Amino acid sequence: MSPAANGGHGVSPDFLNFIETVLNGLMTGVMYSLVALGFVLIFKASGIFNFAQGVMALFAALTLVGLQTGQVPFAHLINAMLGTDVHHWGPGLPTILAILLTMVVMIILAFIIEKVVLKHLVNQEPIILFMATIGLAYFLEGFGDLMWGADVKALDVGLPTGGSFWWEDVTRGWAPEGADYFGMYIDTLDVSAAIIAIILVIALTIFSQYTATGRALRAVADDHQAALSVGISLRGIWVIVWSISGFVALVAGIMWGAKSGVQFSLSLIALKALPVLILGGFTSIPGAIVGGLIIGVGEKLAEAYVGPLVGGAVENWFAYMVALAFLLFRPQGLYGEKIIERI
Amino acid sequence: MNQHIDPGSLRADDGIERGGMLLHVDNISLSFGGVKAISDISFDVKKGEIRAIIGPNGAGKTSMLNVINGFYHPQEGTITFRGEKRRRMRPHHAASQGIARTFQNIALFKGMSTLDNIMTGRMTLMRSNILSQAMWFGPAQKEELAHRETVEKIIDFLEIEHIRKTPVGRLPYGLQKRVELGRALAADPALLLLDEPMAGMNLEEKEDMSRFVLDVNQQFGTTIALIEHDMGVVMDLSDRVVVLDYGRKIGDGTPDEVRNNQDVIDAYLGVSHD
Repeated sequence: MSPAANGGHGVSPDFLNFIETVLNGLMTGVMYSLVALGFVLIFKASGIFNFAQGVMALFAALTLVGLQTGQVPFAHLINAMLGTDVHHWGPGLPTILAILLTMVVMIILAFIIEKVVLKHLVNQEPIILFMATIGLAYFLEGFGDLMWGADVKALDVGLPTGGSFWWEDVTRGWAPEGADYFGMYIDTLDVSAAIIAIILVIALTIFSQYTATGRALRAVADDHQAALSVGISLRGIWVIVWSISGFVALVAGIMWGAKSGVQFSLSLIALKALPVLILGGFTSIPGAIVGGLIIGVGEKLAEAYVGPLVGGAVENWFAYMVALAFLLFRPQGLYGEKIIERI
Repeated sequence: MNQHIDPGSLRADDGIERGGMLLHVDNISLSFGGVKAISDISFDVKKGEIRAIIGPNGAGKTSMLNVINGFYHPQEGTITFRGEKRRRMRPHHAASQGIARTFQNIALFKGMSTLDNIMTGRMTLMRSNILSQAMWFGPAQKEELAHRETVEKIIDFLEIEHIRKTPVGRLPYGLQKRVELGRALAADPALLLLDEPMAGMNLEEKEDMSRFVLDVNQQFGTTIALIEHDMGVVMDLSDRVVVLDYGRKIGDGTPDEVRNNQDVIDAYLGVSHD
């Protein structure tokens, strides 16, 4: 369908470019929301800011690729110690099986974290728990390296990638006749990620609203002491919460990994989640979603419209500027609980 | 009226007769650092009775409840509950053994509805695992509905139908106290600990609450240990009273005996040292 044949609807290309920027911003924002969601879950249930959330996503993605491609775990270590040369044990597992197994690994990880770290730090100051998660982040990064190797890996879980031609064709017809406009670009992988994220959030909401365990999670988030008195085991809940954020990390890891390869810089997306959390509030799940979308869109718009004025690279610092502004005027975030202190 | 709630329907019967020993605390001592909160206190609670714990501020009443339900671990002494002797216990174990409680400064889940709050009280009686819950699988669903039915009966009993869906943080104080009682009742408790159930209430609310406490005790045969400051209420409600002062026990007996005990009178009214 050429613009001429269509006749055109007369929407100015500038406006179409604006819409394209917003759409792409929303897609990026969904990714940020996914990472921020993992933070919020743990923070709500235990008051811990889990610095290791990004590394958990990395670790999940590494494990998934390793299982999928049939890598031998700890291959370098085995080879160095035994003088052998093992690297692959076979053609690897089917994607679905690999994802399920990775989930099992994340649940085991949650158990170990509870047993080895959290159990001993009950009732400690938040800053101490935060430090513990920093330690956990570095340990997990090194452990992932040792287990699966440090090379950049491609992750393919069978999701479509590349620009959508259909959307390009549809939007091309929106510009006025004869305009120099070739349609909007939208990455199909981003679209899948957005759909999966939406399903994930709906599933989590249903789980927390309508099941007994979900009720227990909300109870613990609300009042620790009261939760104990009705017979909820805090440690059991922590394992569940860390498992769920492990699952969220896995989803985030798959999406980011499929987009830009599984590499160790993946762990840095944790830093991008910080402004999202400051915007949305540390205790609000809707806040994490909306915050992620705002940061995503804001970033892209700033890059497109402010970028040319200041020489680009706005995307790198924009989120942090927004967070800073929020800290000044609304420190509890958009949806966070109001901080009222008795003096 | 007895069909309201069926206590003990899910919890194994302990075989203790009404009037038999349900709880026995022996020589409990508890201190925080150098501060002694409780020293060498012993008393018992018989099945089916209302046992009051009274005393001036700082006497160690709430600490005693915290010891019984596992929040505090005493340095010395033992607790025998339903024939099982122990010193330290985790709160969620105490809960699953049938000890439910309310708090002096209401500890409800403020963001959750009345219904959800009371449903959490059923936690220790739920059997389905997290996976079948996540799948909203047959047995888990059936169990949820059965518990829901019991909870609705408790809501009827406490006359709080009109606030079923209201987040409890928005309720007035008196109603919050009632919801908290409902949550404790939902556990089918063998022993119900009430920490100042009437504190901060007006006369009408106090009368309502007294009626509920008596009804719970008489209709369901629930054993209750309560802390209360209103002496009128204590004397009317309780079968036996234990009096604490400065972490020691200074009196124990029926309301009449305690009322005439010289030590108790001194502790409450003060005594001149001349």
